[in-house]
Amino acid sequence: MTANFRSMPVIALLTIVSLPLVIMYVFTLVDTFTNTEPGSLVPNEFTTEHWRFLWSPDVGRGSVWVATVNTFIFASTTALIVTSISVTAAYALSRLDFPARRFFLSGIIILHAFPTITLIIAIFLILQWLGLFDTLIGVIIVKTALELPFGIWIMKGFYDTVPWEIEMAGVQDGASRFMVWHKLVLPQVQPGLAALLIFSFLSGWSEFLLPLVLAPGSDSQVLSTYLAYFLLDDSLEVDFNLFKSVGLFYAVPVILIYLVFQKKLMNIYGGGSKG
Amino acid sequence: MKHLTLGTTALLAGLSAIALPAAAKDLTITVWAGGSSDADAFRIDNIKTAAEILSAEYAIMGEELNITVEGRRDFGGWEEFKQGVTLAAEAGTAPSIVVSSHLDIAPWSQAGYIVPVEDYLDFDTFPLNDIYPNLLEIAAYNGIQWGIPQDAESRPFFFWKDTMRGIGYSDAEIAALPERVAAGDYTLQNVLEDATKAVDLGLVEKGYGFYPRPSNGPDYAQFYQSFGGMLQDPETNKLVLDKQSMQEFYQFFVDAVEAGITRKNHLGTDWGQWYNEVANGKAATWHGGTWHYARYTGKEGNDDFFGTIEFSLIPSGDANGRANTVTHPLVYLVTNQADDQDEEIAAQLIKIASGPRLNSLHAIKSAHLGIGKQQSNIELYAGDQWASEATERLLSTANAQPNHLSYGAYSEAMFKGLEASWTGAQSAADAVADLETELRAKLGDELIVR
Amino acid sequence: MSRISKPRFNWLGLGFLAPAMIVVVLFFLAPVIMTAFFAFTNMSTSTGITGGDYLLSQSDLRSLANTKASAATLDALENAGYRVDDAGLARLAEAQGPATADEFRKLHEGDLFTSRRDMERALKDLRQHRIRSTRDRKLAAELFTSSVMDQRFDTEEAFRAALMTSGIEAADHDTLVDEAYTGWIWTTKNIELLASLSSSWRYAMNTAIYVSFTLAFNVGFGLFLAISTFYLSPRVAATFRTIWFLPRVLPPVLYVLMWYWLTWDTGIISTLAGYFGVAPRNWMLDTGTNAWVVVILINGFVGASLGMILFSSAIKAIPASMLHASEVDGANRWQQVRYIILPQLRWPILFTSSYQTLSLLTSFEYILLATDGGPGGTTEVWALAAYHTALNNYGGNLQYGLGAAYALVLVVIGIVTSLLYLRFFNFRELVSKPRIEQ
Repeated sequence: MTANFRSMPVIALLTIVSLPLVIMYVFTLVDTFTNTEPGSLVPNEFTTEHWRFLWSPDVGRGSVWVATVNTFIFASTTALIVTSISVTAAYALSRLDFPARRFFLSGIIILHAFPTITLIIAIFLILQWLGLFDTLIGVIIVKTALELPFGIWIMKGFYDTVPWEIEMAGVQDGASRFMVWHKLVLPQVQPGLAALLIFSFLSGWSEFLLPLVLAPGSDSQVLSTYLAYFLLDDSLEVDFNLFKSVGLFYAVPVILIYLVFQKKLMNIYGGGSKG
Repeated sequence: MKHLTLGTTALLAGLSAIALPAAAKDLTITVWAGGSSDADAFRIDNIKTAAEILSAEYAIMGEELNITVEGRRDFGGWEEFKQGVTLAAEAGTAPSIVVSSHLDIAPWSQAGYIVPVEDYLDFDTFPLNDIYPNLLEIAAYNGIQWGIPQDAESRPFFFWKDTMRGIGYSDAEIAALPERVAAGDYTLQNVLEDATKAVDLGLVEKGYGFYPRPSNGPDYAQFYQSFGGMLQDPETNKLVLDKQSMQEFYQFFVDAVEAGITRKNHLGTDWGQWYNEVANGKAATWHGGTWHYARYTGKEGNDDFFGTIEFSLIPSGDANGRANTVTHPLVYLVTNQADDQDEEIAAQLIKIASGPRLNSLHAIKSAHLGIGKQQSNIELYAGDQWASEATERLLSTANAQPNHLSYGAYSEAMFKGLEASWTGAQSAADAVADLETELRAKLGDELIVR
Repeated sequence: MSRISKPRFNWLGLGFLAPAMIVVVLFFLAPVIMTAFFAFTNMSTSTGITGGDYLLSQSDLRSLANTKASAATLDALENAGYRVDDAGLARLAEAQGPATADEFRKLHEGDLFTSRRDMERALKDLRQHRIRSTRDRKLAAELFTSSVMDQRFDTEEAFRAALMTSGIEAADHDTLVDEAYTGWIWTTKNIELLASLSSSWRYAMNTAIYVSFTLAFNVGFGLFLAISTFYLSPRVAATFRTIWFLPRVLPPVLYVLMWYWLTWDTGIISTLAGYFGVAPRNWMLDTGTNAWVVVILINGFVGASLGMILFSSAIKAIPASMLHASEVDGANRWQQVRYIILPQLRWPILFTSSYQTLSLLTSFEYILLATDGGPGGTTEVWALAAYHTALNNYGGNLQYGLGAAYALVLVVIGIVTSLLYLRFFNFRELVSKPRIEQ
């Protein structure tokens, strides 16, 4: 280890700047199972009362379990659709030539960096025409559409890194372009596929504004709006330990997925994306 | 079929549909109540009771009517509630009955979201003929009775008695405050002085001399009125921007900040914290609503409301102004539904729920004021000291904000200007100039600038 | 490269693209275009979104007084009243039976009632043939008027037809139709209003503060994280990266909730400061500066992780020999960073900055949840103002048209900026034609 790689000062510095986050994480975890005297930092008793929202439906807005199921449906469906649509569209943009390809490509790039939530009035109107306002399906479609440019862009990045020689070889052997894509190219972009799937799942799980505005009913609410209700409602007592328990319940799947699939997810920020 | 638009054919179709011998009818009535906490549960529960009564009435008439009432009041804030109702109405999935501000009548009736209850109800019959006419007037727009008042309230000014004693008021002088305020003898300038004294003497912390409502609300229109401002021109029904009154009103809050009696960052204070502080004497003076009584004496644990707190009208700003208070009743509204009969039943339900007995349940539970004269004959209501004193001292002079299509834009803009001058982002004069620009652009002909 | 002879274009490409295109066009592109149109309307709660009906109300009468509508028309509208005449009685006979009509004829033939209330009271005079249901009585009352006042008509045709039968001068019909329309109309006022309001400048300034400080934090802190973790053993580095990556993964609502707890007057900062005698206060909303610091940190902690990841992988790509060589030459750590690492990061930094500028410009979720623009509008950024104007304010006065005008400004900035970026980041290379077809 050379002098410049001596690590103690760096670790010390990093620890200090990371302290706020670490404190937040630790207390979020601890506070959900304990009570603390006001003005003190050390908990004085163990309790499960902050988790009462799991079994008593009166605590929050509707049942947390309905919200959980909705969130799961929302996130997984969005992830599946985004990934499956991106995977074909990105291939087309990366490797196939067709009329107005440049136009499509630049369109995707522009949309990819675009104010999405500001369009929500117009989106509402379209959903209403389709009779999908205040339904989970409606929010799923909208979320999918808003996520697609990003998904396509990422997948295109992965396709771009696949060597041309693979396809050339396949085409020369007489396989159709579809077969070449299906049998030869697709396996090459597996990491990208997995990364996009995880990424869109996490993004769907966290989505807040779209369900808030487009699916305000109790039947179609998701965990983000369930939790936000505690923050928005003035008439509720501020009970951070309860809020944190709900929040932790909401975040556990996300954290698990992240910890398990960390490496796969990082691909999205790595080699795949050029821009 | 919206309201009485029908040509004769449609009318006949409608009549025959109603006249047919009805089989058992199952109906789900949804009620959405905005701005409602646990104490306001009777806004919905009364509809449930009404449904039972109505079913019984139908049964006697030989018709079987099964009504399921589904209530909802978990919307977050007013913002989310109104957004929800509006978008649902646009999407055709609006609830059958909405409990909202009377100010929503103008835009919602224009947009066709609600139907006039007078199309379904006979206002010559009890309990509708028992409701205070001025309250009914507040639920009417363009000469049409769109809704039924659900409750009444007003927004008083509060003094913490101990603090007032600390700066030299005798008990008799404190007791005389409401009358002095009403007579225009004790003004907002006196509030500035007394609150400054309270802060200087250390009786309350800096920023707690005058402790206003921490968010937007009808309350702020009161201070505009205190300085002689007028919201609506009675002749033309146009909205009025009185620039001088508006500027003096903004300036009062700027002065309060400068004097150190109000915090510059006060707006946005958590409501829970706010209630707790005012109910327990942390603030020398503040303003709120009659319904706060329930919260102060309930959740916040002030057991001696009348011993610790004096209340009055909002004092006049100066010699040109007037002491006043705004009443901002919520109203029951019936939304436009595909089936005319659903609207009719919804209207009948809110009529029953407006009876003195049911309404008193809500009034006393939530510390609101009653809507009908007969409520003084209901023991539950008559025995309540707060309801009777507040009615007497405040409601007789209370005025409501105008039901006008553009009042929403007007009041949002007015608050934005207040916010900008309060926090020091703009001078009061600049804020008024901006307000004028915005209102002229948005209201056009519907605005009179003075 | 023309070894393979294939058609110039490939239908498979369009087929592959079709599902994406349908969804994107319908739910993304169409809203963009619609927003552009909405920005030029006066669409609001009272006009509704989907178009209007035709309704003449008392307030319309007052505005009609200022138009060229004739006095006779106004009078006819105002005083149409309820007349118990043969036509009305015939309609009553049809609806309630001849016997009812006959009884009513005896009671009130020829009477004129000015208000509906009076007409209904008259109908209550029926004894032998009472109309029992209130609703029926009200409908019956309407049989005796030809007034178009206070009635909603779904279509212009229906309204014009009613005007014809009510006997109002044909010359005034157009004026009445215009006045009665409840829906939205085209206008350029929104844009003019935005340009003339000083709040627009404040929101623009707030946005500039928000974007520039957050971006500076993101890039600067992302760099710091990437470089510092580079010098650590992989395991320690991974721990720190996870700590810093979590805010990006955690749901925004929970993440902001943690900040509430950190900064509120009952939160940990106040508690800790309390040990040093500092009075508890709300560190998120106490002053404008507090709010900005918190808003920037909330966004910055999320944003820094993107920089961290991108920069880290760029640093890893630097040949280790270069770094070791520099050390042999006696470079200290700072010089190493300054002269070897940073130059390598030029492009990633540029990319991160431009990418995040755009996303910050239009993002408001964290601000909405944290300060909601407060205190007193200090942290109200442009996108949040659009949301408040169009969809979320205390009075429920949803001004979709003005809100869309706010949004349109962002849309235009977004498009222009991304076009600039495309030039800058060598668009030709990105969209170069697939090689197989060449």
